[in-house]
Amino acid sequence: MKKVIVIGLDGFEPKIAEAMIARRELPNLMKLQEQGEYSRLRTTYSAQTPVAWSTFSTGTNPGGHGIFDFLTRDPKTYLPIMALSRYEQKNSFVPPKVVNMRRGTPFWDLLSAKDVQSTILRVPCAYPPDQMKGRMLSGVGVPDLRGGFGTPTFYSTRKDLHADQSEKVVNVSVDKNRIATCVIGPRDPKTKSDHKFEINIQIDRAENKITVISQGQPDKLEVQLGKWSKWLKVKFKVGMMQSVAGIVRFNLRQIEPEFELYASPVNFETEEPLYPISSPKEYAHELAMKIGRYYTAGMAEDHDGLNLGRFDEATYLDQCHIVMRERRRMMEYELGRFESGYFYCLFDTPDRLAHMFWRFREPDHPSNHGEYNAEFANAIEEHYRECDAIVGEAMKYVDDETLFIVLSDHGMNSFQRGLNLNTWLDENGYLALKPGCQPGDGGDFFENVDWDRTKAYAMGLGCIFLNLKGRESNGILSNSEAESVQDGIVSGLAGLVDKDRGAVAVRSVVRREHVYSGPYLSEAPDLIINFSEGYRVSWDTPLGGVPRGLFADNRKKWGGDHVIDPALVPGVLFMNRKFRTESPSLVDLAPTILNSLGVSKGAEMEGSDLLS
Amino acid sequence: MKILALEFPGAETQTLFNETRLENLRRLMDMGCFGELRDPAEWNVLARHENHTLTLMEFFQQANKQCASFDDFSSLRAKLEAGDWDFCQLTARSFPADNWSADDYMNFDRELGDTLQYLSDDTIIAILGKGCFVLASANNPLSGELKNASSTDVAPTLIELAGYPLPSSVEGKSWVAGMELKSSSGLTVEEEEILRDRLSGLGYI
Repeated sequence: MKKVIVIGLDGFEPKIAEAMIARRELPNLMKLQEQGEYSRLRTTYSAQTPVAWSTFSTGTNPGGHGIFDFLTRDPKTYLPIMALSRYEQKNSFVPPKVVNMRRGTPFWDLLSAKDVQSTILRVPCAYPPDQMKGRMLSGVGVPDLRGGFGTPTFYSTRKDLHADQSEKVVNVSVDKNRIATCVIGPRDPKTKSDHKFEINIQIDRAENKITVISQGQPDKLEVQLGKWSKWLKVKFKVGMMQSVAGIVRFNLRQIEPEFELYASPVNFETEEPLYPISSPKEYAHELAMKIGRYYTAGMAEDHDGLNLGRFDEATYLDQCHIVMRERRRMMEYELGRFESGYFYCLFDTPDRLAHMFWRFREPDHPSNHGEYNAEFANAIEEHYRECDAIVGEAMKYVDDETLFIVLSDHGMNSFQRGLNLNTWLDENGYLALKPGCQPGDGGDFFENVDWDRTKAYAMGLGCIFLNLKGRESNGILSNSEAESVQDGIVSGLAGLVDKDRGAVAVRSVVRREHVYSGPYLSEAPDLIINFSEGYRVSWDTPLGGVPRGLFADNRKKWGGDHVIDPALVPGVLFMNRKFRTESPSLVDLAPTILNSLGVSKGAEMEGSDLLS
Repeated sequence: MKILALEFPGAETQTLFNETRLENLRRLMDMGCFGELRDPAEWNVLARHENHTLTLMEFFQQANKQCASFDDFSSLRAKLEAGDWDFCQLTARSFPADNWSADDYMNFDRELGDTLQYLSDDTIIAILGKGCFVLASANNPLSGELKNASSTDVAPTLIELAGYPLPSSVEGKSWVAGMELKSSSGLTVEEEEILRDRLSGLGYI
C-alpha cells in the first residue's frame, strides 16, 4: 500500500453510529462499511482519550507507554497531578522544559527509520511533539497560556459574580460606553499575580456590538452580540525583557442591563508559541499562514463556558462548528499535498460535544434539573452527520493504493450518578480521617486524611492507590498486607448497589497486574474500577475529596461520559478493506498500518495486522 | 556560591540590550540587573597595589579555590559539567573582537543557553560586553537597570554575592554593600495553586 489515511473521531459512539447507519443517515460511513468492513473496537483500561490514543500510537497496553489516566498522583505528597506531561527545570537560569510522559515507541518512529513520511494532525499525548520524518501538530496535552487545559475569563458588570473552578471573573464598570480592562495571561511564578494585557472596550448599543481596542493584532476587533469573534493576538510582558504571545477570542453575551463578555482560554500563538507544538517547529505557523489562525490548545472546545452557564448550548454548538471547520481545513490542505506514507487527523469534537449534550437524550437525567429541553435531543446525531461529511471529504483522496481507516478511541455513555470512592473507602475502613473529622468536612487534595492510618485512597477517574510502605511517603502497608487489602476492596466494591436507584453501580474491580504489563506497570494505579452504565466517579473524587454520602446525582451539564467498564464503551472501526472482525483492539492498529506501508511491527507491539 | 564570568569584548551594548531574540540573555537580565559601565577600567581587577594588580582569578587562587579560565565554550562546559569549580572565566576567542554580525549575537545566545544547562542554583553569572554587564544570581537583591555603574565595582560585587570577605585593599565598592541578600529559593507559588492551574479546564474533574 502506498498510503494509509486515518481519520480519528474521538468518542464516536458505536450504538448511535450503528443505528444511524441502519437508518441510512451516515452515507459515507455506510459506503465505507460496504466497501470494506465495520466492527466495534476494543478500547483500553481506562477508556480515556490520552490512554487509548497512546495505545493506538505505540501498539502497547498502557503498561508499555505509561499513560493510565489524565491524572496521576505524586506518591511523595499524595497530590493529584497532570499525567500527560511534566515540567522539568535543571536550574533557575534556564526555562522549564516540557517532557512528554507518553513513552514507548510510536509507530511513526518506525516509519521514519524506513524513510516513510507521516503527516499527523492533533494526535493526543505528543506534547512536546515527537521528532519524526514529516509533519506533526500536537493535540490533547497542549495547554493554554496559563499551563492548564483551559481557563476562560468572564467579564461582567455584576458585582455579585464570583469565579467558579476553572475560570476567571473580572468585574468591570462602564464609563461613557467604554470599559477599561485586560486579558488575563499566565501567572507570574514570583509575584503569584497574573500577567495582564490591557484592552479597551467601546460599546455600540445601536449596533449591538463592541470593539476591543488594544495594542494587539488587530488593534480594533469587532465583537457582535452572540457571535464568536475572530482571534485577537495579545502579548503579555512577563518581565522587563521578555514577553509571551497568545491568541484569544470573545463572545459578547449581553450589553444591557448587565454587560457580559466571555473570553476563551488564551491559546498559544503559532509564530511565537511558548513551547513548540509542532514538528518541525515552524510547521504550526506554516499551517496557520495557509488556513488562518486556529485553536492550538489540546482541548479546543470551551466546555467550561457552557458547564458554568457563561453561555448557552447554541453558542457552544457554534464554537464546536468553528473547531470542526478549521480542523477540516487543516485536513483538506494536508490531504491535498499528501502523496505517500501515513496521514492522520483527529477530530476531537464528537467527544466534547457528546459530553455536553448527552443529557438531552435522557429526559430524567439529573443534569436537566427537571427542565427537559427537546430542542437538542438530536444534537449528537446532527454532529455525527457533520463527521460523516468529513469522512466523505477524506474519501476523495483515497485511491486503489490507499488503506482508509476511520476509528474512535472509545464510545460514550450516560453519566447520571457519581460514586464517592473515598467515602466508600472511609466507610469500609480503608481510608482514615483525622480524629474528629467526618466525610464532607474537608475539601479536595485529601484534606483531613490521616495517612498514618490510611490503607488505600482514590483519585483520578476511577483509580485506587494503596498506601504502600516505601512508595508513598507515609505508606503503612507491607507487600503482604497489600494483598489482603486489595482482595478486600475488590470483593467489597464489585457489585456495589446504589440503594436509591436499586442498580449495580460497580461491575467489577481489576488489579493492575491483570490488565497491564510492561516497563511502566509500577506507575499504574493499583486498582481500576469498572463502573456500570450511567455511573462514574463523582465530581469530588478525582482531586481527592471525601464528601458525605456514597452516591451523588450528576447535576452538571457534562452529562455524558465514558470512563466506565471499557467493555461497555468500545470505539468504532471502519476500513475500506475486509479485516478480521473477531475482537479487534486498539493495539492492532499500529501493526496494521505498519504492515500496509511495508514496515515490520515493533518488538514491543502486542497486536497483529487486522488485514492478514 | 560559585562565580561564572563570561567576557565578550566585541558585543555592543545596544544590540545586547535591545535584540529581543536573545532569549537566554534576556531571561538573565530579568532575573538580575544590567547596565552600562561608565569607565573603561578592567572589570576583573579587585585591587591595585603599587606594582601589582590583584585580579579575581588571583583572589581565588590565593584562597586555594578551584578556578580556571577558558577561551572556548565547549571546554568551559566540560569543566562546569565536572562540577569541581568555584570560579570560571571565559573570554571567547571564537567571537570577533569587534563588529559582531547578527549571526554572532544569535550564536552567542545559543552558546549561552547551552552553557546555562550545566549550572546549579548556587551560581552567580556575570556577562561582560563592550562597556556593559548583566549580573544574575538567585541571591542578587538588585533588579533592572543600574545607572552610572563603574567597572571597578564589578569584582567586589561578585565577591560579596559569593559570600567571601572583601580584601581591605579593594579598589571599587560592591553594589550590594549593606544590602540583605535574597534567599536563593526560586519558585514560591503555593503548590496547590499551581496544581489547580494545571488541571483547570479538564472537564472531567
